[in-house]
Formats: sequence, C-alpha cells, structure tokens
Amino acid sequence: MMSLFVNDFKYVLPEIFCLTAVLVLLVYGVIYSTSSQHGYPILSRNVVWLAVLSLFFTVLLILNQSYLEASIFHNTLIIDFFSQFAKLVILLSAIASLLLSLDYLRSQKINSFEYAILIVLSTLGMLLMVSSYDLISMYLALEFQSLCLYVLAALKRHSEFSTEAGLKYFILGAFSSGILLFGASLVYGFTGMTNLEDLGKLFAGLGYDHSIQSGAVLIGMLLVAVGLLFKVYAVPFHVWVPDVYEGSPTIVTAFFAMTPSLSVLAFFIRFFFSAFYDFLDYWQQMLLFCSIASLIVASLAALSQKKIKRLLAYSAIGHAGYMLIGFASGTPDGIQAMLLYSVVYIMMTLGMFAFILATREQFKGQQIKYISDLNILFKTNPILAFSVALILFSLAGIPPLAGFLSKLYIFFSAVKVSLYFVVVIGVVTSVIGTVYYLRLIQIMYFEKVKAYVTYQQMDRTKSLLLGISCFFILFFMAYPSPLIILTHKAALTLCL
Amino acid sequence: MMNEYLSILIFLLVSLGLSVIIFFLSYFVAPQKRDPEKVSAYECGFDAFNDARNNFDIRFYLVSILFIIFDLEVAFLFPWAVSLDEIGLFGFGSMFVFLLILTIGFVYEWRKGALDWE
Repeated sequence: MMSLFVNDFKYVLPEIFCLTAVLVLLVYGVIYSTSSQHGYPILSRNVVWLAVLSLFFTVLLILNQSYLEASIFHNTLIIDFFSQFAKLVILLSAIASLLLSLDYLRSQKINSFEYAILIVLSTLGMLLMVSSYDLISMYLALEFQSLCLYVLAALKRHSEFSTEAGLKYFILGAFSSGILLFGASLVYGFTGMTNLEDLGKLFAGLGYDHSIQSGAVLIGMLLVAVGLLFKVYAVPFHVWVPDVYEGSPTIVTAFFAMTPSLSVLAFFIRFFFSAFYDFLDYWQQMLLFCSIASLIVASLAALSQKKIKRLLAYSAIGHAGYMLIGFASGTPDGIQAMLLYSVVYIMMTLGMFAFILATREQFKGQQIKYISDLNILFKTNPILAFSVALILFSLAGIPPLAGFLSKLYIFFSAVKVSLYFVVVIGVVTSVIGTVYYLRLIQIMYFEKVKAYVTYQQMDRTKSLLLGISCFFILFFMAYPSPLIILTHKAALTLCL
Repeated sequence: MMNEYLSILIFLLVSLGLSVIIFFLSYFVAPQKRDPEKVSAYECGFDAFNDARNNFDIRFYLVSILFIIFDLEVAFLFPWAVSLDEIGLFGFGSMFVFLLILTIGFVYEWRKGALDWE
C-alpha cells in the first residue's frame, strides 16, 4: 500500500505546498486577528501579501517540476504540459487578482483576512480540476472551487447586493453541479467506469453506433457538458452571470472574470478530447449552438447596459462564445486558439478591472458604478483614459492589438474545419460588440461634461498591473511566438 | 442480511402501534373538560407580556453547522476504524492528514469564538 503511492506525492508537490501554506495562513490569521495582546490587528492586507507569496512559490514549484507526463493516484489525476500550462495561467491570474484587491480591502474596510484564504483555496481547487482525469476527482475539485466562490460572492455581508449575488450564485451553481453529477452517474451507470482514459478506450470507434447504451451515455455526456457550460458562462445557462458580477464586491468580480472559467474549460476540453472524442458530431453541434447563442445574446444585451460591471459580464459571456468556437472546431488548432484567446482575455480583463477598481471618487471614496460616470476621464486623467481605450479597442478586436490576433486565430481554426456559419456570426457580433466598447471610449473622450468627478490616485500595484496589461496588449503582435509556441505545445499534448 | 432489518422494521411498527394506543387511551380513559383558561399559553401564570416573535440567535445555527461537519467526520472515521488492520500505516497516516485539516478548521472556529456561549 505504501509503495503504491510513494512516488505520487512528488508529483503533487505544488498542490501539497499550496494546501500547507494556506492552512498555516489560516491559523496565523485567526490567532493574530483575535489576539487582544496585539490589539486585534486587521490582517487582510497582510494575509493577501502572504497568499501572493505562497501562490508565487507554487508557481515556482510547477515551473521546476522535472518530469513531462504522469498519471497518478490510480489515474485520477494527470499531469502533462497542458495541465501545467493551464495551472500556471490560473495561478498567475489569481496572484494578479489578489494584488488588485490590496487597495480595495483598505478603502472598503473589508477587514476579514478570509478573503485571501478563500482565493487561495479556490485556486487550489482549480489546480486539481485542471489535472483531474476522472469524473469523481473532477466533481470534487469543481465543488471545492465553487464552494469557495459562493462564499466570496457574499463577502460583503452587510450589502444587500452581495448577499443576493452569493445566494443566486449558490443556488444556480448547486443546480448546475446537480445536473453535472447526474450526467456523470449516467455515464458511470451505463459504462461502469469513471476514468476518462478508460472511457476513451471504450468509445474508440463507437461514435456512430446507435444502440441504447450509447444513447444513454450520450445523454450523460450532454448533462455533464451542460453542468460545465453553466460554469463557463455560455448562453442558455448564463442568467446568473450579470447579477453575480454586479452584486459581488468588485475584487471578487475581478477574480470571477479572470480565473475560474479557464479551469473549467481545461477539464471540459480534456473530457471531450480524451473520453468523448468519438461523439464529436454530437458535442460539436451543442457547442456551436451555445457559442452562437452566447455571441448574439451578449452583443445585443450589452448594448443597453448602463452599469460597467454588468457590461463586462455580458462582454465575458460574448468572449466565452468566441472561446467555444475554438473548442467546437475539435482540432489541435482550435484548442490552441482557445488557449491563446483565454490568456489574452485574462490580460485584457486584468487591465479592465485594474481600471474599474482604481476609479474611485476623490472625496466620497465611492467606486463608480455607471458608464456615464466616466465622462470626464480624458480630461482628469488622460493616460488612464488612453490605456483603457487601448484595452477596449483590444476587447473589440481592432487590428494592431492582442485581442485582434486571438480572435483571428479562433476564426482561422473554425474556417479550417469549414464552420463558416459560426465564423460569419462571430464577425458580425464582433462588429456589433465594437459599438458598446466604442461607446465607453466616446463617453470618456467626447461627452459633454455634466458633473465634474475627480478620481483618487491609483495605487502602485494596480498601476503596475495595468501597465503590464497595456504593454502586453500593445506589443503582443510584435512578438507573439512564445505564447503561440506554448499554447501549440499544450494543445498538442492534449490532442495527440 | 436483510432479515436483521426485518426485525427492526417489526420493532418500529410495534412501537408505533403501542405509542398510538397509549396516546389515544388518554382521550378515552381520562376525563376531558376544556375551558379557555386551560388551553391558553402558560407563562408562569401571567398573561403574555409581548409579541411571541424573537430575533433568531445565530449561535444555534453555528452549532448545527458545526455538528454537521463533525458528524460527517465521524461518518468517515467509521470505515477507517474497522479496517485499520488492513490499511496499515498508510491508511493511518491518510486519516491523520484528514483529521489535521479538520483540527485546523476547529482551531479557526475556536479562536473566532464560534463555540462561546455565555
């Protein structure tokens, strides 16, 4: 028994470190913040920095792992280049969202250090989710991640909106997990296996067999996919997203926008590519439907939004639609394009949320809420206005910027497998999407001034992150090869 | 195997029947004379002072949450306890990691004052 797992623990060293670190942080936080000798110190920022440190060390541990591929703990977890790549992106975006929150915690007087603990715990769940190779480990990791996110959404318990967002997110998340679990139990009930590799072997060449068993398995696959589509903001299952984005505290919204969907997508890809690839005909149609619906709904609904966070929620839904196009094409190219898109999207969202978190009214310290509040930004803070305009142009997909290249890759991958219809829809909705991104720019630059709003100065971490984001967006086209090679390699390790 | 549960089912039915008999016997055997004073709420002999609605104390909720968590822990401990001779040191160690994580949760509750009941 001992020798069975003796090497496996070396492979999950980053996860073990992350867990140990967060447990130590939890004990440290609770003991110091309740100690009367030290005068009940507020540890929220302190614990955020320590959490950043522990996530950073986890990144180092992942970078320094010396093996290429391993399937561990009885095939329940898999480690390959794809999972390592996705883990790195997830960890870096979690670090970025922790850094974004530093100033917000102080200004909004969120004094609970549990915020950082929950972020690290949910990141840990995402790491496990990315490398899970079995339906059971996937479900456990998904719930681990989601439970932390439910609590985070309701972080500001004195705010009605935050409580409502937490409740909505919890109910819909639990519902979608239930659907997913039912799907997984159907797959298990009709095949007797939960392991993705075993399932892949079973279904090899079976895709066109219309026996009863494969029909029930198909329904199981469909339900698992529905459960996962809930979590990646795809359209028929998107109703909760705008409310949760709007209601949650902005730092939590930033985390939701950047980090969790990649982990779900990573498992989603692995689920379809290693277990159900032979059902391509069925899941391709489903994903295409969802992506077309996401593109249309998001671009039309975003047009009439007045609040910034709601606008970004619809924008996130639209971008999920683009990612699903790459996924639905079912080729290594498509997966590469999707990974590229998600990295670029994370960078753009990072800049966007750095901006949203930074624009606080100077005297009241209130976070701005409405798009129309930005109307003087070009005059009060021209550099900030310029960088936000840059990010918005990139989100819309204007040529020399990163967003353009990633969209182009998505469309190329879809054209290669003759999915012309979805490409046409994608291009059209991208043009419609340009309208609302440009409207923001128009408000910032050309609107008649109604009331003078001046903003507080941005703090150093946020300005650095915004700078990094803008630099990436502006110069990605000049030297895209590292990221393209990395995503290509990740897509190949998954598909071959 | 199922026969053991059959006796429990019979036992349940018998005890249900017995309690129903005893409950209804009091209706028939004891004298029944109702009047308004007898059926009104008893508050130490006084009339009710104020509204019966009260704020719900969150501590009951906390205690029940903690009970669920630690009840679950016990559910995991049962199979571990009966199979200890087969799973060896590795199984022992695994359960201790589990218990350690739960203990850290317990330390958190303790320091946060979730268990205080003054």
